[in-house]
Formats: sequence, C-alpha cells, structure tokens
Amino acid sequence: MKKRVLALALGTIMAATLLAGCGSGSSDSKETAPESKETETAEETAEDSGDAAKESKGTYRVAYIARAQSDSFAAWLANEMLAAAEEYDDIELDVFDGQADDEKENAAIENAITSKYDAIIVQPNNGEAQRPYVEQIVKAGIVAITTNARIDGIEGASSVDADPYAQAAVNAQAAVEQVPQNAKVVVLNGPSGNFHADERRKAWQAEFFDKRTDVEIVGEQIANWNKDEAVQYMEDWVTSNDKIDAIISMNDNMAAGALEVVAGKEEFKDILSYGVDGTAEACLLIEAGTMTSTCLQSAIDLAKLNLETVHKLLTGEEKQIDTDIDAPLINKDNASEYVQMYKERGLIKE
Amino acid sequence: MNVKKTNQIMEKYSIFIVLLIMIILCSILNKNFLSTNNISNIMKQLAVATILAYGEMLLIISGMLDLSSGAVLALAGVLSVSTYKSSGSLLLALLVALTIGVVCNLVNALMVTNFKTPPFIATLAMQTVARGIALLYTKGQNILQLDQYVVFGQGTIGPVPVSIIFMAVITVVIWYIMKHTRFGRSLYAIGGNEEAAVASGINVMKNKYIVFVINGLLVGIAGVLFMSRVNAGLPNGAVGYEMEGLTAAIVGGTSFSGGVGTTMGTLAGAFIIGCLNNIMNLAGVDSYVQQIVKGVIIALAVIWDIQSKSKKSTKVILVESK
Repeated sequence: MKKRVLALALGTIMAATLLAGCGSGSSDSKETAPESKETETAEETAEDSGDAAKESKGTYRVAYIARAQSDSFAAWLANEMLAAAEEYDDIELDVFDGQADDEKENAAIENAITSKYDAIIVQPNNGEAQRPYVEQIVKAGIVAITTNARIDGIEGASSVDADPYAQAAVNAQAAVEQVPQNAKVVVLNGPSGNFHADERRKAWQAEFFDKRTDVEIVGEQIANWNKDEAVQYMEDWVTSNDKIDAIISMNDNMAAGALEVVAGKEEFKDILSYGVDGTAEACLLIEAGTMTSTCLQSAIDLAKLNLETVHKLLTGEEKQIDTDIDAPLINKDNASEYVQMYKERGLIKE
Repeated sequence: MNVKKTNQIMEKYSIFIVLLIMIILCSILNKNFLSTNNISNIMKQLAVATILAYGEMLLIISGMLDLSSGAVLALAGVLSVSTYKSSGSLLLALLVALTIGVVCNLVNALMVTNFKTPPFIATLAMQTVARGIALLYTKGQNILQLDQYVVFGQGTIGPVPVSIIFMAVITVVIWYIMKHTRFGRSLYAIGGNEEAAVASGINVMKNKYIVFVINGLLVGIAGVLFMSRVNAGLPNGAVGYEMEGLTAAIVGGTSFSGGVGTTMGTLAGAFIIGCLNNIMNLAGVDSYVQQIVKGVIIALAVIWDIQSKSKKSTKVILVESK
C-alpha cells in the first residue's frame, strides 16, 4: 500500500514536471515572458498559430525569433526586446525560441510568415542556414530585420547588430599599450565557425598581435564561450608556464573562468585580462580591479535599436536600415556605471 | 601455468596497464606532468566526471543508464547556489543539491521500474525537463557572486583540495558497496540476468530504486562541486557531462550488456581521459586535433581491454573443447 502511495505521489510530480517541460520546449509558443500581460498575449498567439493574423486595430504585430532562450545573452536580449516593445503603443511583440537549432529556427520563421506578422526580426542561429528563410520573409512582403548577428546582403532586409570586430578592437588597442614587453599570453577562443568568435579573433590579430610581435602566445584553445572549459585550460597553462602576463579571451565568461584559476595567487596578481560582452560578472571583476577591460554588447541598446528600426520601417519612414550599436570600452574608470546599470536591471543583486 | 597466470593478470588489470603506460608516456613528454601541482590539477578536473561515472557505472552494471545526469547536475547546482545566496548556509545548500538529485532520480526510477520505460528514454525525458526547469528558474541568466560557496570546488583542507577529498571518499564508499555488500552483488546479478535475479529472490525493483537514489546523491554532489569550481550558478553548465561519465565508466571496463564493471576500473577510465586532456593541453595540441586523438585513444584503450579479456576466454574454450 505504502509503495502505491509513493508511486502515485511520484507520478504526480513526474506529470507536473513533464508538463512544465513540454511548455518550455515547444517551438511555437512564447517563451520568456517576465510580465503577465505578455504571457496572455503569448497564449492567445499560440492558440491562433497557423490561423490568419489576429488583427488589433492600429497595432503592428512583430515576431521576434530568438536564437536560443537557453543562451544567457540571447535570453537577456529577448527580455529586453519585450521591455523595449512596451514603449511603443502601436507594437505588439511575440517571442519565439529557435532552441539553438537551425531546423527549429527556420520552422519558427515559416510559422511567423504563415501567421502574417507585419514584421519579423530574426536573431540567426547560423546566418547562412537562415538566409533563404529571411529571403522568404522579404518575398512575402513582410518587414525583415536580422540582428545579432546580421545576415549580410539580403535585398530588402534590414539589420541591427553590434560589430564584433570593433568590440574586440577597442580592447586590443588598449592592450597594445598595457601588455609588457616580451609578454607571454594565453588566448581563449569561441566556437569555430561562429561569426562573432571569428571576427573578434581577427581584430586581436590585426590590432594587437601584428603590432606587438614581441608577444608570445603560450596557449590558445577553443573553450566554446564556456567558463568551465576555460578553467580547465587555464589550470593546465599555469602548470606548464612559470609566467603568464595576459589572458586574451573572446568573451567575458571564459576570461572570468581563467581568472578563477589565478585568483589569490601572488605570482599572478598583475595578470591582465580582456574579454568582450560586458557581462554583469565582468563589470564586477573590473570594478574590483581583477579584470582589465571588456567591451559592452548591450542587450538593452540592441533591443531599443531593433524596436526603433522596426517602427521606422513599419510606419514607412524608411525603406531599409543597416545600423550598429556602439562598442563602448569598459575599464576600471567607468565599470561602476555599468555595475549600476545591471543593478537597476536586477541582474546584479545588491 | 605461467602463461595462464600472465593472462589472468592481463585480464584483471589490463585497463590499469593502459593507464600506467599512459602516465609513463606523459611524464616523458612533459616534465611538469608528474609535478604535485599538475597531479592535483588532473584530479580536480576529474572530480565531477568521476563522481558522475560512478553513478553511471552502478546503473550500467544493473542494466540501466542515466542520460539526465548533466542536466540534473545543473538544476541541483543552480538551486543549491540560489539557496546559499538567500540563506548563507553551506549545509542547507548542499542538502538542497542532494535532495534535487534524489527527487529527479526517484522519478527516473519510477518511470523505469513501475512504468517499464526504457532507461534511455526515461532519463532522456528527465534531461530535457531538468534543463528546462533550471533555465526557467534562472530565466537563462547565470547566478553570480558565490562568496563562501566556492569552498567546495576551490577550497583546500591542509594541502588537499576539497573536491579531491569528496572524490576519494566517494570512491571508497562505492568500492565498499560494490565489493562487500549484498546489495552490490545483487546489482551484478540483476544486470547479468534479471529474470534469474528475480528467481533467486532478489528484490529487483527495490534495488533499482536504491541505485537511482545513489546516482541522485552523486549527481547532487557533482552539481555543488561544478558550480563552486566555476564560481557561478550556470543553468547552461555541464551540457553533455553524462557522456563524460559514461565514457569513463565504459573505458574503465564497465560492459554495456550489464553485470560487469568495477569501481577501480571506472576510476582508471576517468584518469585515462583526464591524463589525455591534460597532456594535450600541456603540450599545446590544437583543439581540433585533440578531439581526434581523444576518440582514437579511447577506442584503442577499449579494444585492448576487450581483446586481452577475450583472448583468455577463447583459450579456455579451446582447452575445454580439446
């Protein structure tokens, strides 16, 4: 009898968790909805999906196809898109999750075309894989925007992005002055074939390594943007090198991982470290004097610029727009401003 | 007689011989390899995968497996981190991780035993559910500023890192369970032939539940070590770690057909992979090449292990047929 009760209790838990799982896994339902109002809209949209567009008078319906809600930057961007859309009375934004999968992302784009949205903003999982689908959006007469990263050269489509080359370049240019003579450095790369990873590495090559031929790279690996992989590489590099003067990382997550390894070690107290993204963690590390600099890729700015762009296109103010957000350098002089920004967004708890 | 004895030794210790050869080669390749610091690094890097590997080993021996361990690790880890941030209690944080690990694995056990779902599917379902809950709970954002929590993954007691102590104690406990308890022996029986195990009076269902509970405890501990090692609560962390655990167990001689496997073999399997990663990083081997080398060496190690065992059994058959 006891066993049966236990089995039933567990069954209920399982059913509940499974249902929760199905909810978050489905590709055509709205994912991130921090505010209840949007959740309601999402449910309605999900019910209507496949049907003709839900016309609300004087409102533009915009679909945002996010790369993956499981990626922390993409999730933040999706939340900021919803927040930015709140500022426009005539825009109603629905978010769909591409689940870091080309097939699912492309299906989400097709569904949005079928549902006759007025505009579709695509954050590609892999630019070339989404290119034909974005072309379909244009062909259907729907406003198309690609963002973070842009897909170049689609006739009739607009784009809003951060320039990954510039983001790394501002750090590299500062490093030219800061890194000591004959320094030994380690390099942490993003996934191979990733546009932002490749562009950032190119910038470091052109703006730093080509100018500072005295600098020796004693370790370079792909840590896939991941903190735990960076920890492991750095542990090994610290063992095989008596001296490492700088950590050059293509994102903040990996830089923070590498710094974790040398934290509190006297012989590495002067180590320089560079990242990109301007994550909350990096801003805190820079403010504390542990990390040297990063460049902000602001989801807030990207979201605002996306909404501004889509609004201009929908109202017919402009026909095509290709624009970038700024690439501001964050160092110890201004880190506290950004820490404050994150505190206001609730991403750093006081 | 001597040949027979040598064969017996080869059969029993083949994986350890592989490991020994590897250690010798690595120490020739890099002077730093055998330094105390590097050995400590390797063990710290191994701790999480090894702990997961023991869980996988227990499950595989009893004819099951767990594909959810990476995701449950992340869920247990972020909830534990979040508990610490709100309560400031390390003990409570650890308990939360263990509880989450156990609850998820009780659900796994329920699906596998009561509902007769194949473990592959049941734990695959748990994998997506657990990852989904971790992402939903954190809204996909990392939890930062772990403060004292890092003691689990980064602290030391005397000169010994805490994570290595966790791994060592767990190794001894698992070894004892498998070698010296009736429960351990019954797992081999269940994995070897479940119907025979039932016929011989073993409570298969109860034992399967216990295996999943032990796996849950191990995954919970792994979650705490992982998050404190990276000083963050990463809802996206440890993707694919179940494969690291499975690989270590399989390389260490655990047989996918069930009923075969040892604690020390699994430990050796984890060390083989750990040493391989470590030496390639020390030697600065290119990332792409690392993947190829790793795959080839894992395949060779397992082939050698299987061959050295099957040679012996072929011989026995030949002798008997004469």
